[in-house]
Amino acid sequence: MARSRISPSAILENLLFVWFGFSAILLVGIEIASIPPFLQVLGRAHPLLLHFPIVLVMGGLLFWVLPRSYKSEAYAQIAPFLLLLGANFSGITVIAGLVLSSEGYEGDALFWHQWAGMITFWGGSFFYFFQKRKQNALQIPSILLMLCIVLTGHWGAAITHGEDFLLAPLKTAEPEVTLAEAEVFEHLVRPILQSKCESCHRDGKVKGELRMDIVEGLQKGGKSGPFILAGDLDNSLLIKRINLPLEEEEHMPPKNKTQLTEEEMNILTAWVNSGATFDQKVADLPEEHELFQFASKTFDSKQEYDFDAVSDEKLEELNTFFRKVNPIYPESPALELSYFGIAAFDPKSLSDLQEIRTQLISLNLDKMPLGNASLDFLNEFPNLEKLSLNFAELSQDKLERFPNIKSLKELSLSGIQLSQVALERISGMKNLEKLFLWQTGLSAEQKANLRAQLPNTEIDFGFDGSDVILPLNPPRIKQERILFSESLEMELSHPIPSVEIRYSIDGTEPDSLSSPVYESPITVTSSGKIRAKAFAKGWIGSQEVSSIFMKSGIKPTEYRLLTQPNPRYQGDLEETLFDQIKGENNHTSGEWLGYSEDPFVAELMLKESHSISELAISLLYNESAYIFPPTRVEIIGWKNGKSTIIHSEKPEQSEKIGEIRSELLSYSLKDADFDKIQVKLYPIQSLPPWHPGAGAKGWVFVDEILLN
Amino acid sequence: MEKEFLEHGLSLNRRKFLSRLSLGLGSAALGSLLIPDLFSGKSEAEDAIMAALPHFAPKAKRVIYLFQNGAPSQLESFDYKPLLQKNYGMDLPESIRMGQRLTGMTAGQDKFPLVGSYYDFNQYGESRAWISSIFPYTAKVVDDICIIKSMHTEAINHDPALTFFQTGAQVGNRPSMGSWLSYGLGSENNNLPAFCVLLSRGRGNGQGVYSKLWSNGFLDATHQGVQFSNSEDPVLYLRDPHSMSRNERRKMLDHIAAMNDLSFKEFNDPAITAKVQQYEMAFRMQTAVPEITDVSKEPDSIVKLYGPDCLVPGTYAANCLLARKLSESGVRFVQLYHQGWDQHDNLPSQMAMQAKDVDQASAALITDLKQRGLLDETLVIWGGEFGRTNYCQGKITLENYGRDHHPRAFSIWMAGGGVKSGMVYGETDEFGYNITENPVHVHDFQATILHLMGIDHERLTYKHLGRRYRLTDVSGHVVKDILV
Repeated sequence: MARSRISPSAILENLLFVWFGFSAILLVGIEIASIPPFLQVLGRAHPLLLHFPIVLVMGGLLFWVLPRSYKSEAYAQIAPFLLLLGANFSGITVIAGLVLSSEGYEGDALFWHQWAGMITFWGGSFFYFFQKRKQNALQIPSILLMLCIVLTGHWGAAITHGEDFLLAPLKTAEPEVTLAEAEVFEHLVRPILQSKCESCHRDGKVKGELRMDIVEGLQKGGKSGPFILAGDLDNSLLIKRINLPLEEEEHMPPKNKTQLTEEEMNILTAWVNSGATFDQKVADLPEEHELFQFASKTFDSKQEYDFDAVSDEKLEELNTFFRKVNPIYPESPALELSYFGIAAFDPKSLSDLQEIRTQLISLNLDKMPLGNASLDFLNEFPNLEKLSLNFAELSQDKLERFPNIKSLKELSLSGIQLSQVALERISGMKNLEKLFLWQTGLSAEQKANLRAQLPNTEIDFGFDGSDVILPLNPPRIKQERILFSESLEMELSHPIPSVEIRYSIDGTEPDSLSSPVYESPITVTSSGKIRAKAFAKGWIGSQEVSSIFMKSGIKPTEYRLLTQPNPRYQGDLEETLFDQIKGENNHTSGEWLGYSEDPFVAELMLKESHSISELAISLLYNESAYIFPPTRVEIIGWKNGKSTIIHSEKPEQSEKIGEIRSELLSYSLKDADFDKIQVKLYPIQSLPPWHPGAGAKGWVFVDEILLN
Repeated sequence: MEKEFLEHGLSLNRRKFLSRLSLGLGSAALGSLLIPDLFSGKSEAEDAIMAALPHFAPKAKRVIYLFQNGAPSQLESFDYKPLLQKNYGMDLPESIRMGQRLTGMTAGQDKFPLVGSYYDFNQYGESRAWISSIFPYTAKVVDDICIIKSMHTEAINHDPALTFFQTGAQVGNRPSMGSWLSYGLGSENNNLPAFCVLLSRGRGNGQGVYSKLWSNGFLDATHQGVQFSNSEDPVLYLRDPHSMSRNERRKMLDHIAAMNDLSFKEFNDPAITAKVQQYEMAFRMQTAVPEITDVSKEPDSIVKLYGPDCLVPGTYAANCLLARKLSESGVRFVQLYHQGWDQHDNLPSQMAMQAKDVDQASAALITDLKQRGLLDETLVIWGGEFGRTNYCQGKITLENYGRDHHPRAFSIWMAGGGVKSGMVYGETDEFGYNITENPVHVHDFQATILHLMGIDHERLTYKHLGRRYRLTDVSGHVVKDILV
């Protein structure tokens, strides 16, 4: 038996599947594929390869199109093979095309070309397998396939030669329009109507009896009524229809057509609103007019600068960690450059800028220690528009020879002391639009002169502040603790180093004349309160800060509360008073006893050996939480069953909502030896009228009683 | 018999088909070798997106966002409504409320008594904008700012509203605005992070700030906001360890880099190079940050301008000053948060304190940027996450009241960087409850910021979990009316 030979057809049939798989995967992932060079070569062979399938597939398909009488035996035998060979070449061509498309092709033509090509390949292959089984009724499919091949070719040509290539000889070329020549209707409005409306509203296809390809049609309107009413947005059908929700049947353009962009809608609206004229020139409109703005975007965005861009390599070379140079936006040839990092600055690096002298339009050297470096080189920068030297260190003689850069529009010299000579240099720069001269040490007269010399320049001398008188912020008191046993050291400080801090520890209010000036840490040995204020020339004295310090004293033998605190704030009951723990400035911390309904009454039993000279009560004030000073403090001493009122006084009452703070009320007991002392504190019964809770009951919070 | 033949033929065909299909599959597999990331989920021609940024000439290069955390009342700041003072105590008409949902805090109230501003209003500047008496410094710079009175949002509680403002979504898994800008535009100054965060706290009722607000979300971790601390070391762990010299640190980094390079050669993992770059950035920050955080060289007039608190670390004034210093050094996005604006009660006393803390320094920032020639290229934003109700929450008296959250209308201001100055945009009804003119949604606001930075908000995207995300989600229109 003869060994079966693999026929070429079988190989080609199998190969078809290879192309299928390969093209499918490329179709899905070509955008993210990394193509090796040899495949790239295949891709670039696409324009060569494509001729094979066109000829072969067409040649094969023609067989089924021809009338029966023209079909010879030989053709019948060769046609399927031609088709098979052609289908294989389509596969290869499709793959090559997909690879080529990754080299930056895009657009509608590519989309259609790609899919038509795929259909040719799939259709041709399917047709090949199908014709093996069934021979009749293949005429129409083969004609369709041939049409598909033609279209593929057409769209392919559109990619390489441009969309209008084929019919271009039949059209007249349109000249470029500049902003000065542009007309509102002709160049802003009409192109929108042409691209989005005219396909259905034109000669030959007058939907809704509306023609939009001629001015008369626009003026006349369609069957639903007037189309454009000058200045009347609510009744102009054009505006009404485009603003309907997309789902509405009357929304235009219809849902399945390309929609107007936001900007296009804005242009149409502005046009109707401003009178819907047909012969208005853009240049005649005021500059702030909406249509002018749109037009300037469309027609003037061409190019602001006509010099060539610097190469990317050069830019990369100039960019360091301490120097940033970049185009002002991606396509612009104009460059801006900033230096950062004072410590890393080297004036020599400025010479690198010569390479971009044409392109540089903005240079920022803020704070850089330029020292003796000369700025003369900037004279050779023909397009420099903006120069910023705020707080740069620059020698006076260099300033006095400041380059007169003709192109400069904006100059910032804030923080640089300018001599009269330097100032005169600057006053010669008549082209400046903006000049920033804050903190340049100029007198009022110099400023006025400069303004007179540069009448067209916006000059900002900035904020001076010497005539502004503000209150200082209060000093800070730093003490490690409030309760101490032997002595306590306290430090005062203020964020502004030059201020004077005055303080008192004897309870008097500190003032700027007689109170001691703080110089070094203060050491105290008995309970009290430090009060301090900050003063400085040109400032209003600060508000007072104060802080208490408490010497821990004798614990009575026995003590109890005669009235109960509010259950929410009962701490450790009477133990709280002598636990030697100073409560935090937070009444809910559990270290405080709170009284509102009843007065606070505590009884302390003393031994004979206790000779008490002073009693101090530590309180919390927080007006916004209704916690006020007690209205009355009573201290009653008992000796052998007889009572004496030692103190009964009203502490200073709050007059506004203040910070949350601790307060210490100290009372001398005149060394009398009592065997029992009663302390009574009366909470405020009706909050003052200025308080948000006016009329409500206030609170007293106590956390410690100190006996010394 | 015929049937068997047919079946044989069919099965043969099926087998043949399958075997041929495997050929196709094989070639597909071969093809997939060309596409390394096809099945890994990561992909996207991100480089192409990035190369095109910015999309057009930017108006602003940098942003300073003064976020007033807790939502300051628009009715006591920029939205003057005399009708509310006239109709004091009257119930909010249902025709105005129109079914607006309420928070749990006032949903139980049986009455919604209208209450007007406790403070007086006056008109200022050429724009004749109304500003309340507790913002005297802002009133002085009114011709440099653009007040938007028609902001509205979707959220009604602090956390979702804040998150919405910062990330464009109410749930917290998206990148913050600063992270998007860092991703899109990178840093101007390679020695500093592109996105810095500064926190301060006022004396009014406060709401929390969380690090998710400056999170990079699904973007690379280098885009996360760097929070500056209020302590002596503004950036933690930046100093060299005790007794380690700068040279030793340099040598150590070089050695680590050499080792990292070896493992990069072995594994080709880009995360390794990213790490090396971060070490280097931190090394450069060691000199850059002290240069910037040193306020001792600021002239006296700056202390007068911002107020003396600007020298007390951690205050809002100090943060404004630091924000200026960071911004002028090329930090793309400086985000401040100032807490304490949640006046559900005690509004008259608390709001005055809050305003006192921020008013001078906020206005100072504008003046300061201006006198350096920087305001034109720096966008400054001031505002909270929503507004406050025109009716009182809780007990109402002539001297005291509170306001609940209100998402339908509130005021913010923007200045510099391509925004019209001396403008008041948008209008609310005479109850200050609904917007009647030019509404600005949070996504519109975000789209506008990106636009000013030269970015088309629809094109700055990042593919994550199978879809492209953007800051403005699926909406947002640039508010062209406020652009220069």
